[in-house]
Amino acid sequence: MTYFLQLVISGIVVGSIYALSALGFVLVYKSSRVLNIAHGQIIAGGAFIVYALTVFAGLPIYISFVASMVITFFLAMSVERIFLRRLIGEPIISVIMVTIGLMSILNGVIYLTPFGSLNYSFPEFLPTTPISLGGVSISWTQMVGVVITALLIGAFSWFFKRSTIGISMRAVSDDQFAAMSVGISVPRVFGLAWAMAGLSAAAAGTIIGNITGLNFETLGAFGITVFPVVILGGLDSIIGAVVAGIIMGLIQQFAAGYLDGNWGLNGTADVLPYIILLVILLFKPHGLFGTHEIERV
Amino acid sequence: MSANRFFATGNFFTDYRQEQRIFRTHLDRGLFVVFLACLFAWPLFFDASNRTMLVINNILIAVVAVYGLNLVTGFAGLISIGHAAFVGVGAYTVAGLARAIGASHPLIVHWWPLMILAAGGMGAVFGAFVGLPAMRLKHLYLAIATLSFQMIFTWTIQFMPTFNQGQMIPVGRVAWIGGTVGRKDHYFFWYYVILVVAVVCGLAVRNLLRSRYGRCLVAVRDNDRAADAMGMHPGLTKVYAFTLAGFFAGVAGALHTYMFRGAGFESFTLHHSITYLAMAIVGGLGTLPGSLLGPAAIYTLELEMERLSEWSGAFLPDSLNLATALRPLGFGLVIVLFLMFEPRGMANWWRICRSYVKLWPFRY
Repeated sequence: MTYFLQLVISGIVVGSIYALSALGFVLVYKSSRVLNIAHGQIIAGGAFIVYALTVFAGLPIYISFVASMVITFFLAMSVERIFLRRLIGEPIISVIMVTIGLMSILNGVIYLTPFGSLNYSFPEFLPTTPISLGGVSISWTQMVGVVITALLIGAFSWFFKRSTIGISMRAVSDDQFAAMSVGISVPRVFGLAWAMAGLSAAAAGTIIGNITGLNFETLGAFGITVFPVVILGGLDSIIGAVVAGIIMGLIQQFAAGYLDGNWGLNGTADVLPYIILLVILLFKPHGLFGTHEIERV
Repeated sequence: MSANRFFATGNFFTDYRQEQRIFRTHLDRGLFVVFLACLFAWPLFFDASNRTMLVINNILIAVVAVYGLNLVTGFAGLISIGHAAFVGVGAYTVAGLARAIGASHPLIVHWWPLMILAAGGMGAVFGAFVGLPAMRLKHLYLAIATLSFQMIFTWTIQFMPTFNQGQMIPVGRVAWIGGTVGRKDHYFFWYYVILVVAVVCGLAVRNLLRSRYGRCLVAVRDNDRAADAMGMHPGLTKVYAFTLAGFFAGVAGALHTYMFRGAGFESFTLHHSITYLAMAIVGGLGTLPGSLLGPAAIYTLELEMERLSEWSGAFLPDSLNLATALRPLGFGLVIVLFLMFEPRGMANWWRICRSYVKLWPFRY
């Protein structure tokens, strides 16, 4: 029973990270219908900026966390401005391929820095003794990570529901022409969506980096792992990203806890999400909360 | 209309047969024949090193794979981010069988043409399976389906004892008239095999595109509702495109296994899928010459970047990891720049040159 609860706890921790990574992805898709394959590289970049500011520049981690969010905000905005702005109206296929190319470019840029090949870990700034409750333990970093994730997701939901910019973003995702005709600048909304995605990616990267340590391969892989999550939740639903993130985290932890080592299986946590993804695509392609497009082929 | 087709200012077809010809002009046919003769003849006159032959064989294998990718992405308009996995399916059909029945079993070393076809068939089966969501979905979701197939494939190879957990599985030397193909003639022999396969596949693709089964791919890409209204089944057409892509990829994979005398998982990762996509885009999506130009260009780029990082490694600090950085950086830049400035790829350059000559002294 304790083992089960422990798996549930770590599943929720992993799941909330997935939710936060998926959030940025969904933001971009929701407003501009772009499948951002380079999201993992932005996550990794955000985390490395925090590390560089904290360790190389000696800033307190709280300040560098916020600073990194600001930096990636503008970085992602300029990525949209330079690469994707001129592709508005082009077939969707070339837009997706540009993000694939972008992933490659960002990979190359990160390999040029010392972060590309070595492992780093954030300096400890929280108590190292884990919190223990009836045999189930959770570390302080995980705890704080989950809390920050919950706060950020709450803030994003509020932003979308209430603020003017959020409402204009939803309007653009609903109908671009109608949004234009009431005076919303569609390109600016696209830029803002990318910027917000960059901001949430930096937050996600920092939290992952604090929990698992900084490794480019692991962080960059989140950009791919995020696909099963967003497909399960529905590509354009924020609440879907959260729910599916936690479901995926739980599935992975249970797979690692119960399947690995039995029946000659190993590393099932890495492959199960993709099998689920294929099954969902076959039977319920719009996911749990996604918009049902009536268009059929 | 000029009597000489080369001086004509446009295409003046008067019946369908003219439009469906494999070669539009005598010049095209002549150039093709000369080019082909050169390809077949040059190893007899020049004594190329094994290293050169290896690169050229690699390019030709990639050409076969890119035919498939071009069919699915260029002609049918469906992105495949898992093409390397289909190539891997073909490679592991041969390698897995070699592991099961022994690397020098007669089936592997004597009946290798059959094995290459079987690998293509296996690739086609997997292609059809991954393309199944196409019955209901549009390209965006399909891209994700191929991506997840890539991840599942990598995992299967890495964790299954059947496939030696991703380690190299050796395959024996094949037999040909006059005994086993030895170490000295290995690359030379496989150059001709791969060349023949590449030419046959290329002609097959060209012929396919003349027939209704090829034209329906293009019709579904351009407008699937119109295609539906004209009596094609868009969903089935897409599954069929994936099947074809899987077939060509499988053939390429089997050739890869035979040429490297084994298969390891590191040749079929996501990175390679992106490389194939880069080849297709640089060459020109939806053009047949592009499938030839793309791989050649990308491999040349790769070699040059290797040389650059070797040259710069002498005076750059060790911490600057240029060798690993240049590959992704170069590929990414090439993909993005081509998409932004020359979305029709290198195949378009030939068209531009030709129209320049045709229209001279007037500007295009």
